[in-house]
Amino acid sequence: MKLYALIAFVFLLSSATHRIKTPPVRASVNYDQLKEIIEKNDDKLYVVNFWATWCRPCIEELPHFLEVSSAYENQAPFQMILVSLDKAELLETDVAQMITKLNIDNDVYLLDDNKRMNYWISAVDSTWSGAIPATVFYKNGQKLHFTEGQLTKEELTTIIQKHL
Amino acid sequence: MKNITLLFIAITALTLSAFKLVDYAPSTSKTTEDVAPKGYAIGDEASDFSLKNIDDKMVSLSNYPDAKGFIVTFTCNHCPYAVAYEQRIMDLDAKYASLGYPVIAISPNDPALVPEDGMDEMKKLASTKGYTFPYLLDEKQDVYPLFGATKTPHIFILHKENGKNIVKYIGAIDNNYANPEDVTERYVEDAVDALIAGTKIEVTTTKAIGCSIKDSRKKK
Repeated sequence: MKLYALIAFVFLLSSATHRIKTPPVRASVNYDQLKEIIEKNDDKLYVVNFWATWCRPCIEELPHFLEVSSAYENQAPFQMILVSLDKAELLETDVAQMITKLNIDNDVYLLDDNKRMNYWISAVDSTWSGAIPATVFYKNGQKLHFTEGQLTKEELTTIIQKHL
Repeated sequence: MKNITLLFIAITALTLSAFKLVDYAPSTSKTTEDVAPKGYAIGDEASDFSLKNIDDKMVSLSNYPDAKGFIVTFTCNHCPYAVAYEQRIMDLDAKYASLGYPVIAISPNDPALVPEDGMDEMKKLASTKGYTFPYLLDEKQDVYPLFGATKTPHIFILHKENGKNIVKYIGAIDNNYANPEDVTERYVEDAVDALIAGTKIEVTTTKAIGCSIKDSRKKK
């Protein structure tokens, strides 16, 4: 019961601060921490894109992901989170540079948990081979969709529309 | 303490629900089904192939009558994960070729999409680094889908049984691409060691992040 109270309190807190634009997050996390961030019970649609600065198809699709994100972020309960799979020590250098270059305003987490890949890749989706890009959609802790490979702007929009 | 218990319950519940989804939910993505190559499963017989090596000669598994098996390694020049594992792939061949399990490296990418994965670049890299194993180009890109390789590096260990090459292990080389000094699980070595010892392979499939295979016919 106390757990529900705690969750309810966190909801209230987050909805209260909802309209205040906070600076985007840039942080290293492990998979357990990431899970708590993307599988929240807050009725928001979370679009979680796994990418890396060296991954060409990822960098190719990011600009239209960002466009879609801007179009939805203030219109709907929606958040796009970018999860970098770069080496941890590159967060302040390569990852930061790419964030500036692509003008990324979304929260970016670097998933620094490479020794447990064999665990968390399957935990994200049993069909994920580990190739990137990969995008997963969550609402209230439920996984709604998973794609390994690029998504076009139209495909991404269709999936979001279906699950908002 | 109570908070920790609550947190533990919450995490356990989340974890359980995640496993439940993975185990029981019907696939939530049509896309995944469309692009996921079928490929080999553990215990399947791998078909032989004939691919061009960096010495311009064609190489097939049947060219190795004395081999007891193979460490088939889909890798390439450009991918940072492949680069990170290059020395370890060379070490695997140095250790296991003489024991009957040579490395057969195959580059699956379309050089039209990734110029540095072309044959000339492969030749340069192999000669600079002194590869002791064949480095083949999957020119028609019809071998990697047969295996079900999706990324580089992606390892398939084969074992010869009654003249057939049986798939015994699919996955990563070890559990730390970034730091070879901090590897705690040596999946490929453990599997080949088990084959040599005639014991059961404990971990037959693993996953790791890798570069998607570049093929203009499919989604990137």
